[in-house]
Amino acid sequence: MESYLESKGRDFVMIKIENVSKSYVKDKKSIDDLNLEIRDGEIFGFLGPNGAGKTTTIKMITGILNPDEGDILIDGKSITKEPIEAKRKFGFVPDSPDMFLKLKGIEYLNFLADIYELPNEKRKERIEELTKKFEIYDNLNSEIQSYSHGMRQKVVICGALLNNPKNWILDEPMTGLDPKSSHDLKEMMRKHCNNQNTVFFSTHVLEVAEKLCDRVGIINKGKLVFVGTFEEMKNKFKENKSLEDLFLEITENEE
Amino acid sequence: MKSKVISLTKVILKNSFQNMETAKSINENKNRKSKSMIILYIFVFLYLAGIIGVFSNGLIKELMEINQEQMFLGIILLGIAGFVLIQSIFSAINILYYSKDNEYILPLPIKPSQIVAAKTNVLLITEYFIVAIIGLIPLTIYGILTSASILYYISMLIVLITFPIIPVLISSLLVLIVMSFAKFTKNRNRFQLIATIFILVVVCVLSFTVSDTQTTPEQLVQMVTKANGLVEMLRGAFPTLGMAIDSLTNISFENQILNIVLLVITTAIIYFIYIMIGQKLYLKGAVGNLASGKKTKKKLNETKAFKKSSLGKTYVGKEFKTLLRNPIFFMQCVLPAILFPILIIGLTFAGIKGEQGGSITDIASMITNKTSIYVGIGILCAIQFFLMFIYISATAISRDGQNAVFMKYIPVTLMKQIDYKVMPNIVMTTFMSILTIIMVEYLFKLPVIYLLVITVAGIAMGVLQSYISIIVDLKKPKLEWNSEYAVVKQNMNLIWPVIFGMLNITLLIILTVIVGRFINSYIFIAIIAVVYLLLTMIVRNYIKNNIVKLFTNIY
Repeated sequence: MESYLESKGRDFVMIKIENVSKSYVKDKKSIDDLNLEIRDGEIFGFLGPNGAGKTTTIKMITGILNPDEGDILIDGKSITKEPIEAKRKFGFVPDSPDMFLKLKGIEYLNFLADIYELPNEKRKERIEELTKKFEIYDNLNSEIQSYSHGMRQKVVICGALLNNPKNWILDEPMTGLDPKSSHDLKEMMRKHCNNQNTVFFSTHVLEVAEKLCDRVGIINKGKLVFVGTFEEMKNKFKENKSLEDLFLEITENEE
Repeated sequence: MKSKVISLTKVILKNSFQNMETAKSINENKNRKSKSMIILYIFVFLYLAGIIGVFSNGLIKELMEINQEQMFLGIILLGIAGFVLIQSIFSAINILYYSKDNEYILPLPIKPSQIVAAKTNVLLITEYFIVAIIGLIPLTIYGILTSASILYYISMLIVLITFPIIPVLISSLLVLIVMSFAKFTKNRNRFQLIATIFILVVVCVLSFTVSDTQTTPEQLVQMVTKANGLVEMLRGAFPTLGMAIDSLTNISFENQILNIVLLVITTAIIYFIYIMIGQKLYLKGAVGNLASGKKTKKKLNETKAFKKSSLGKTYVGKEFKTLLRNPIFFMQCVLPAILFPILIIGLTFAGIKGEQGGSITDIASMITNKTSIYVGIGILCAIQFFLMFIYISATAISRDGQNAVFMKYIPVTLMKQIDYKVMPNIVMTTFMSILTIIMVEYLFKLPVIYLLVITVAGIAMGVLQSYISIIVDLKKPKLEWNSEYAVVKQNMNLIWPVIFGMLNITLLIILTVIVGRFINSYIFIAIIAVVYLLLTMIVRNYIKNNIVKLFTNIY
């Protein structure tokens, strides 16, 4: 892990998860002593089977859930102790894009721009840039309810990226996107990271993770079972298997 | 066919009742809590039952003295019909059309008639809960007071089961007819709103014209002098009302049995006709309702579109937009604030005016001491009564559904967001209080200063209620719902504003009787206003100090 980061000259930790545990039910940890560091300039893929704890982890990073133990720092700010400062440091795309369906696209984006205090001149430029890129500009004056699933996903992504946050946190962002938008989003993620920013996203699609991520973390039953590059994964298991087979092996071994 | 209808009914019913409890609960004391909730519901039920019981007892005894006790049966049954009729318009529109389960049910190999039958059954079953409160208790008391035979109780149960069916079918049929035009509309939201208001107006007009049977004074005298003659006046007000009354009155054994059989058969025939028509109309409306309509691309007004606003303005604006643009939220949360004062105060005094044949000035002269403490407290109690039906704050979190987590990941403090979220409730309760005061001023011509003091107290009461209600919603938010209707109707949280309201009214009355009479009425009401404001500060402080804990159920 260190070798990769050192080789890239990246050492500033943007998201730091320290000894985090979370239980919904007594004596059953949904997340068990999780430690993870995401550094600047890195696209980090968070993988794991259904119910492994991906969404719970993302919810804790974004302040939706409080960890029972441990802490999470976003760009040095604790999400539990300095929540407002920490929340300014990231843009979040939740797993369901059904956000405020009764608002028009433009109203939703303006609402977020007001929350993130985007000045007038910048907001017009940013909204136009993002929505034209995702080809939803012409629909902005309609209620989000009338959008297709993919369009809703796009407007939520635009909202999250509006204030150009350093850290992008995305829960299954590719779901529902058409091939072009998916391609554009991946390109944007790469460009964002090239400017020393961070993308943290969860996905089920292993091919996306393989092509896009600098590093991946695999979580199973609340425990982090692997962190590193795909090369490191292959080296560790010393097998020339496909990513899918490796993933299955890692997660099944933990059964 | 039958089994499909029954299993569909069960599924829809279970689904909607499971929604009554929050799905997410990480509480260890869940069992103990749910037990105490049951005790609370029983208490509220008994309280309501007690009020209805005392009222029934008094009315029946009064009517018995003038040999008109059967009039009571007419009043109760007509009340059930009217209540179920209005109530089931909202439920019918929701269960038949707005409910999200349509997306799963419509693709299944089930006939439209089966879907209509199942959904109508669900509608009926939910109405029976109300019927149990407003029908079962008064009719049982009637039975006891008139020392009725066992046959009365048996037929009472049959009547209570069959009689509400036709009002439900009338509303549903109206809904089916109007909604079958949905596919012709471009703006679905506006159509839904207009359609519901239209049906509501149709039903109101219908019930007014039907019940407005002109009786001359001579006829009235005849009716009163004849034993149980008055009830004749009501018979024509609703199709099966006569049969239902006769099923409960012991003219002769055969007659009673005959009327029960007639009632059941008539209802069954109407049910059958309804299903026949319903299956023809239902798919038209339901499919039209699922399609999002023709998508029109309206151009942005670029000079206005990207304007910056202050955080408070934009947040409260968002709350209002989601409230006003959603027909169900609008009708259940906003409309009562406007309609209740006008309808209830207006109708009550129109009735008094009509009976006495007087003018507005006569009504104003009914009150001799215009600054009496009883007048002030009476108005405050009326405002408190209307407040019980304004759910904006009590559903502020639940209305966001799964979006409620949004509050937790944006960089705005939770307390600020709570202040913004209660704002629409404060605005609407203030509006309602002022509207009530204007109505009162128009009718009673009270001194302006006295009214101002009462207005301030009324508004303060609304602010207090806004903050208390949001605590209820925060503690047990209903975030996973099938249709918006579930948030405003199948939501047990809404019992709390009623409990607080009843408590407040009781306290106001007790305080007035014990101390209020001896203090200057202006000062007494001003003190009440100050107490409400102080309580609001305490409640708001409680929220602020426990904000993280209060938000633990939202994730």
